[in-house]
Amino acid sequence: MKLNLKTTSCAAGIVLALSACVSSTPERPSSQNNAAAPQQGGSSEQIVLALSNSEFDDGFDPTLGWGRYGSPLFQSTLLRRNSELKFENDLATSYTVSDDGKVWTVTIRADAKFSDGMPVTAEDVAFTFNQAGESGGKTDVTVLQNAIATSPTTVELRLKQPQSTFINRLATLGIVPKHAYSAEYGRNPIGSGPYKLVQWDEGQQLIAEVNPDYYGDMPQIQRLVFLLVEEDAAFAAAKAGQAQVASIPQTLAVQSIDNMKLYDVKSVDNRGIMFPFKPNTGRKTPDGAAIGNDVTADRAIRQAINYGIDRKALVDGILEGYGSPAYGPVTGLPWEQKEADIEDGQIDRAKQILAEGGWSDKNGDGIVEKNGQPAEFTMLYPASDSIRQALALSVAEQIKPIGIRANVEGKSWDEIEPLMHSNVVLFGWGSQDPTEVYNLYHSKSAQGDFNNAGYYADSKIDNVLDLAMGAPNQEEAIAFWKAAQWNGQTGFTTKGDAAWAWLVNLDHTYFVNTCLNVGTLQIEPHGHGWPITANISEWKWTCN
Amino acid sequence: MATSFLPRRPAIRFNRRQITLLSIALCTLFLVAIVFSNRFMGDAGLDPALTQRNQPPSLTHLFGTDWLGRDMLTRSLHGMSLSVRVGLLAASFSAIIGTGLGLMAGTLGGKVDAVITWIIDVFFSLPHLVLLIMISFAIGGGTKGVIIAVALTHWTSLARIIRAETLQVNSSDYVQLSYKLGRSPFWIARHHMLPHMIPQLLVGLILLFPHAILHEAALSFIGIGLSPHTPAIGIILAESMRNLSTGYWWVGVLPGLLLLLAVQAFDTLGENVRALIDPKTSQG
Repeated sequence: MKLNLKTTSCAAGIVLALSACVSSTPERPSSQNNAAAPQQGGSSEQIVLALSNSEFDDGFDPTLGWGRYGSPLFQSTLLRRNSELKFENDLATSYTVSDDGKVWTVTIRADAKFSDGMPVTAEDVAFTFNQAGESGGKTDVTVLQNAIATSPTTVELRLKQPQSTFINRLATLGIVPKHAYSAEYGRNPIGSGPYKLVQWDEGQQLIAEVNPDYYGDMPQIQRLVFLLVEEDAAFAAAKAGQAQVASIPQTLAVQSIDNMKLYDVKSVDNRGIMFPFKPNTGRKTPDGAAIGNDVTADRAIRQAINYGIDRKALVDGILEGYGSPAYGPVTGLPWEQKEADIEDGQIDRAKQILAEGGWSDKNGDGIVEKNGQPAEFTMLYPASDSIRQALALSVAEQIKPIGIRANVEGKSWDEIEPLMHSNVVLFGWGSQDPTEVYNLYHSKSAQGDFNNAGYYADSKIDNVLDLAMGAPNQEEAIAFWKAAQWNGQTGFTTKGDAAWAWLVNLDHTYFVNTCLNVGTLQIEPHGHGWPITANISEWKWTCN
Repeated sequence: MATSFLPRRPAIRFNRRQITLLSIALCTLFLVAIVFSNRFMGDAGLDPALTQRNQPPSLTHLFGTDWLGRDMLTRSLHGMSLSVRVGLLAASFSAIIGTGLGLMAGTLGGKVDAVITWIIDVFFSLPHLVLLIMISFAIGGGTKGVIIAVALTHWTSLARIIRAETLQVNSSDYVQLSYKLGRSPFWIARHHMLPHMIPQLLVGLILLFPHAILHEAALSFIGIGLSPHTPAIGIILAESMRNLSTGYWWVGVLPGLLLLLAVQAFDTLGENVRALIDPKTSQG
């Protein structure tokens, strides 16, 4: 027995030594001052949120993309989405759109103040939009011609051409103060949001306190401490009672923690495999990366994979049931085309599609061939993401019986980027804004980056997507977004071009202290963690 | 109880030499079995079987299964096999470089010694992991990158020891006499130095082996080396870190134990081989 104990502790020692060798980020932030140290148990004075997130890497400048997922927290937006994803006024009191769809006139409230005490004026709004247009960051306002303040509370946003999705910019772009904006703004964000930044230790923690000048309903929680940790460390922090909210991977959602309740939030955070759409003809991206793959350029291969995969098994086996099958990129949103859904897990159907496409196994190695070309490709996944690893391996296993071999390789994003236009990649997307559909499937979006990485191109789909973007408003665009997915004859989903094989939508899983009432959570976009803060100003601590 | 003080007479008695030989044979057999285990285990246990995930050890899965339902025994043995081969290759390579450069520095002396000592100092001044990352990145990652990076960076301490040992032997009378008799430095290195270095070399090889494996795991963990689903023991252990808080102890403890046994086997092997070839103990 003594020997056993010794060897066990030795093995544990090896495990620990290994982690010391390899962990690149500290598991728990060191507390620089006492007030910042995570306390045992939360209160309305302070709660601790353990989130695994990299959203803060670029700082907190909305014109560079901060806040496009979830809420900008330190800034406020003209509109906001409620828990049903409907737009309602925030900083704006009303807005009108001209008949040609090119001029948006927004009236803002007069009583809003920045956290430095200065009033929020139409000048600041105009400045923010112009700045975002110039900086060309991840907040896409390239359609904006210019923004002009016509009175202290009225601003005109003039577009180059009508864009039905422009309203999403009004709901995601946080307003920055013109008088306090500089290149350093991202580290020192002054805004009119419900909270103000107190301290940011890059990669470790973020502390926010209530903004006393906030114009809306005062949040009840006075102080928020965000611990930026790995997913399993978030779970450990929650288990130790150090965090009141923890974002955890779905695989850990089957666990239970005392005094914590599991929140299982629907999301459009999807995972799918992207196929290079064109054969490899030697074409290159502007950066010199190869484009195209001779195997996946064949529609029969893409469709067979789509029909052969058993998505339900992936949801149950990998996500522990915390997710749903995905047949397109916009599951659960108003512009989802339900008719594009297919009956999957059909090995025979998949084999039939391959046979009709001219693929057959002539040399008996279990892999089908066509003109001497075996149905084999490399499937890449980001090595740091365990869910994508599991999905990639399981998909490769599921398509083996239909005679397609996927060689799975895990790599870093830096390694994947030059390969992603010529190899199958396991990607994740998901936005509450339909612009993403345009970015994923329009031939003009393929510029050698993550947007339309497979160089999908179909002139009919391009036309429909252009119509959707050019529609007078988001409601009227819905019909076009649906038609692009599948209109009975064409579409980018499985029955049409099958440009992707979408696999699953993740549910975002959080452990939340039973004393904390987080209200109704909305369908979350891509990015597990930060999106839960979308309604954080309404959160209530219900215990004493 | 007086009887318990009487030595029990074993059924068969071995002398020390036989025990030594037996230990060598057993350890070699164990290590060879590990290296070739993946041949007769097959690859079936490496594929995910989602319906059988997170199962504790049982008769069908002696090491249990992981979060994707892969058989941990198959994975661990595949991993150990790969790791032992990577470790052995890298350690042997390091030993060759270390011995070669150490002997050169010790016997040739002068400028050669200065240059080699300088190279060793340069290697020591760089953080080891950074150097590993740089080399394996430059080569393009993967198994090849890991082997070359590990092999190229572990020889320095060994080279230092060999150099010191060589300098010591070099100043002894019979070596000096050998020089006077007109023997070439190469002949002296081959006949007078190398026999003294063999035990040092074996210890070095043993010490390098776990280092090499841990660095291989570290490299693959940060995504430069092997894919995270590759069954390498370091990757398996790194992955088991996630399960420490959830109670799936078998995914970490059992492969760790296997690694421990393998390292112990190398150690025992090294000690016994040294006992056999070291002039001080070989006649005992």
